[in-house]
Amino acid sequence: MTDFTGLTSVLGAWYDFRDLNNLQRLITEWIADWGPDWLASIITGVLGALGVLGVIGPTLLILIWVERKVIARFQQRYGPNRVGPRGLLQPVADAVKLILKEQLAPRAADKLIFFLPPVLIFVPGILIWGVLPFGPRMSVADLNVGVLFLLAVSGTAVLVIFMAGWSSNNKYALFGAMRAVAMSISYEVPMVLALLTLVVFSGTMSVNGIVEWQQQEDVIFILLFPLSAIAFFFAASAELNRTPADISEAESEIVAGYHTEYSGMRFGLFYAVELGNTLVVSGFIATFFLGGWWLWGLDQWVPSWIILLIKTGAVYFLLIWTRGTLPRLRVDQLMGFCWKALVPATLLFVVVAFVQRTLLISEGWDTTIALPIMAVFNIALTLGAIMLFARVSRPAPLRRPARIRMAGAQIGGLRAAREVASRTEEPQFQVGGD
Amino acid sequence: MSDFGFHLAFWSLAAMTLGGASMIMISRNLIHAVIWLVMSMLGIAGLYLTLSADFIAVVQVLIYVGAISVLMLFAIMLTPRAERDNSQTKASAPAALVVILVMISTLWVAVDTDWGAVREAALTEQARLIGESLIKHYILPFEIGAVLLTAALVGAIALARQDDEDAAVHAASLQAELEGEESIDPVDVVDPPIVSDTEATS
Repeated sequence: MTDFTGLTSVLGAWYDFRDLNNLQRLITEWIADWGPDWLASIITGVLGALGVLGVIGPTLLILIWVERKVIARFQQRYGPNRVGPRGLLQPVADAVKLILKEQLAPRAADKLIFFLPPVLIFVPGILIWGVLPFGPRMSVADLNVGVLFLLAVSGTAVLVIFMAGWSSNNKYALFGAMRAVAMSISYEVPMVLALLTLVVFSGTMSVNGIVEWQQQEDVIFILLFPLSAIAFFFAASAELNRTPADISEAESEIVAGYHTEYSGMRFGLFYAVELGNTLVVSGFIATFFLGGWWLWGLDQWVPSWIILLIKTGAVYFLLIWTRGTLPRLRVDQLMGFCWKALVPATLLFVVVAFVQRTLLISEGWDTTIALPIMAVFNIALTLGAIMLFARVSRPAPLRRPARIRMAGAQIGGLRAAREVASRTEEPQFQVGGD
Repeated sequence: MSDFGFHLAFWSLAAMTLGGASMIMISRNLIHAVIWLVMSMLGIAGLYLTLSADFIAVVQVLIYVGAISVLMLFAIMLTPRAERDNSQTKASAPAALVVILVMISTLWVAVDTDWGAVREAALTEQARLIGESLIKHYILPFEIGAVLLTAALVGAIALARQDDEDAAVHAASLQAELEGEESIDPVDVVDPPIVSDTEATS
């Protein structure tokens, strides 16, 4: 890597927009001159939170439009195009409508617990942003247990969803909540294992540390551990309740799942948090697997947070793509895919990561030669695993069943069909025609 | 962190923990009690943070708030509705006595012990240190825990698993019940006479 530190020191002033931390540091130092310590830490905390909120708030409004428009394109229709130029003001109109709507609560609902979830769901949704690094020194809190923090905070959202579904006193809401809880508990396992490969290989649990490792070794993790990236992507889309895995609010089965009874802006809050979580998870996928704010030296010239936002946008587009293309899975299919496919595969890659890390550290292999070999090996292993999965899960051609199940005492099912077939000479169904 | 910020954090977190804990006692509804318990757990996690134990705090949230409380909620949902009420407790007087005794003895120990204050800065690489000591010094307890958890996992699967034959018998008996039949021979269900292809097409 070329050394650009000279340039960085020249442009390290507060107006250097490549690193917004400079401005904050200036403010902190200025307060520390006259004020007490705690005031400085409170003000920096508030500034960081406001910065995060200032990014999320306007982005959400645009994202609603982007998501609807892109999905419409995938489904060969126009999408919102009536309110404002090219339908850009549609989210504003929706928000106004949601705010004006009456807030209904079921009479038999548990009042306190019913009112809390739309507010509480924001807490994990905002807290997760805290450990997302926008640049070398640009994360609100660069914890050295950042990965664990991410998992812990996203795990608490399950509880809020359960509260929403249970307190509504509606069987569909309860179904949705139970499904959401079962799904997120299951998909947390491949998610943790996929992150464990990165933690093992880079030797750090800090999110920024993982990005710095990728920068140092000049490699992005999706090349080294492609299967972990795929597993994390799918597990994240399941945790986010997005369409290939949105069984907890499957509108064709259980009305709207856990937020069936929430009307007006209360529903709007759930919706907003869901979109915000999608954005931040795209950011984390970009950070963990695509190098985050780093892009082979380009981060010295382009502000690092712009690189991260572009990568986040690419991952977000991929999430919209899967949502617009794939059909919804059934509950048992979703659970089966998690426990029978994703968990063994990610577990295999944890072992692979342990072995390769040992080769690098204890055996002292040269990283410039060993890493490309490992990448090729892991990509081949991933392709093999995917082909094996495709071969195993391919629907077997249905021949004569080995034994008839649940046929019962009386005639029915397959036996009845055979009976009918034996009585009539002509085939029942003709394919095609003349 | 100066003293003021630390004291503010400590006292508000302590109030949150104790308030949540006392609300568990007061609330009649068990689901409410679990949610108050979660609040109490979060307070404890915050107290760990004031002690600079980042790793323990995050793990507290991950395990107690994210997993154990959900497990409790499931357990409550699976019990009959009549037994969910907290009001029928007849053993409240002896329970209160036991709780008071435990509290007094804990407080006694806490006040009586000469707690050594640590003046050094907090450790930064806690997770690494914990991991190293787990696989170096405490490898045997670690392995025993792993084996125990695996055994629990296998046991849970064995309990929850329903064999194909069991399922067939169950379905058949359900159907027989619906049709008003007295009983059904399980052997007949498990191995039903299959109509052979030649028979069916002839």
